[in-house]
Amino acid sequence: MKWAIPVAVLSVAGLVPVWLYSPGAAHEGEINEAAAPPAQEQQQTQQQTTAPQTTGSAPKTTGSAPKTTGSAPRTTTQQQQAQNRTVSGPAVNTSEGVVQVQVTLQGTKIVDVKALRAPNSEPTRMALPLLKQSALKAQSADIDTVSGATATSGGYKQSLQAAIDSAK
Amino acid sequence: MRRVEHVMGLPISVDLRDGDAELAESAFAWLRAADAQFSPFKPDSEVSRLDRGELTREELTPDLVEVLSLCDFYEQSTGGAFTARVPGRGLDPCAVVKGWAVQRAADMLREGGATSFCLNAGGDVVTAGEPEPGKPWRVGVRHPDLADQLSVVLGVRDGAVATSALYERGQHILDGRTGQPVSGILSVTVFSDDLAIADTTATAAFALGRDGIEWAAAQEDCEVFIVDEDRRVHSSPGLPVHIC
Repeated sequence: MKWAIPVAVLSVAGLVPVWLYSPGAAHEGEINEAAAPPAQEQQQTQQQTTAPQTTGSAPKTTGSAPKTTGSAPRTTTQQQQAQNRTVSGPAVNTSEGVVQVQVTLQGTKIVDVKALRAPNSEPTRMALPLLKQSALKAQSADIDTVSGATATSGGYKQSLQAAIDSAK
Repeated sequence: MRRVEHVMGLPISVDLRDGDAELAESAFAWLRAADAQFSPFKPDSEVSRLDRGELTREELTPDLVEVLSLCDFYEQSTGGAFTARVPGRGLDPCAVVKGWAVQRAADMLREGGATSFCLNAGGDVVTAGEPEPGKPWRVGVRHPDLADQLSVVLGVRDGAVATSALYERGQHILDGRTGQPVSGILSVTVFSDDLAIADTTATAAFALGRDGIEWAAAQEDCEVFIVDEDRRVHSSPGLPVHIC
């Protein structure tokens, strides 16, 4: 799917400061809200969203491999796309190295910024990627299925998923 | 319509809320065929024949070429931590085949007209539509220590959720760079719109150990929920957490 979506070119100019910005308090995983550009810049990046991008983004180092999966029919995520969409900027050479970012937009609001490529320098490590940290909790809840529950047949018999499968 | 079968050594559950019940049969038939074609444990599979040198690259089916190119992509992307060719062992593309084959089974259900279903293959999940109007599929992620508890619940409509963890098979994921079992992470869950991507990303992140946390988070189109050995949770802001 991701390889089938035309990726819009986003001017990285407004986003380079994101990476250059060295947040003082970006430790221990609070979302680095400072990483979002100011509202005015968001507006600009919106307007600069233009033509489909033909160059691959950074994680696709082999290019040919992901395309082959694109042949499988995918009809997914229309609802999710209506809420969120991601755009990848071009890879840009800066004095610190190559930077490429991806932003997730909800409407016109930037809700996430992710580095597809970032130089291995201190400010980058502090700021990217944006991961929240929290303590592990245990809960039980009404669910439809379980991820990670049942790797083997023996394990399956005693698993939550087996209980769900037999309950309905 | 619900059905569970064991294919590829995995319990595979189909929960089909609409569409023809025969769709489930065709999906299982495909999964059995994929197992026969790609299993390294079956001497007459295409993978085994390639590994014995009985087939050239040019003679491979397009499906195996696709699987191998996915293996190569993730091997390069992880610097070799993820590999289908652990030194001293034969070619084993299982880590890619499972998610890839189950995603295709889900695609077959969709093409056959099903709009609401949940496919769960050994804990790796593809969902479509909504089980009830206005509600997402609630995908619970198993707690790494407590088999009957969940660490998070995701709300998913059209999407895929894969979890790679240590709790059942022991240390079954090896670092391809060293051949040694990996450590650093207890459980990696990846949400994406394609199970081939979600499953392989989860496995590859696991193989990277602690480095896999940021690696997985930076993968395009992937949202992660990762529990490290210190039982800290690292999660992407875009993860579709379902508030129960």
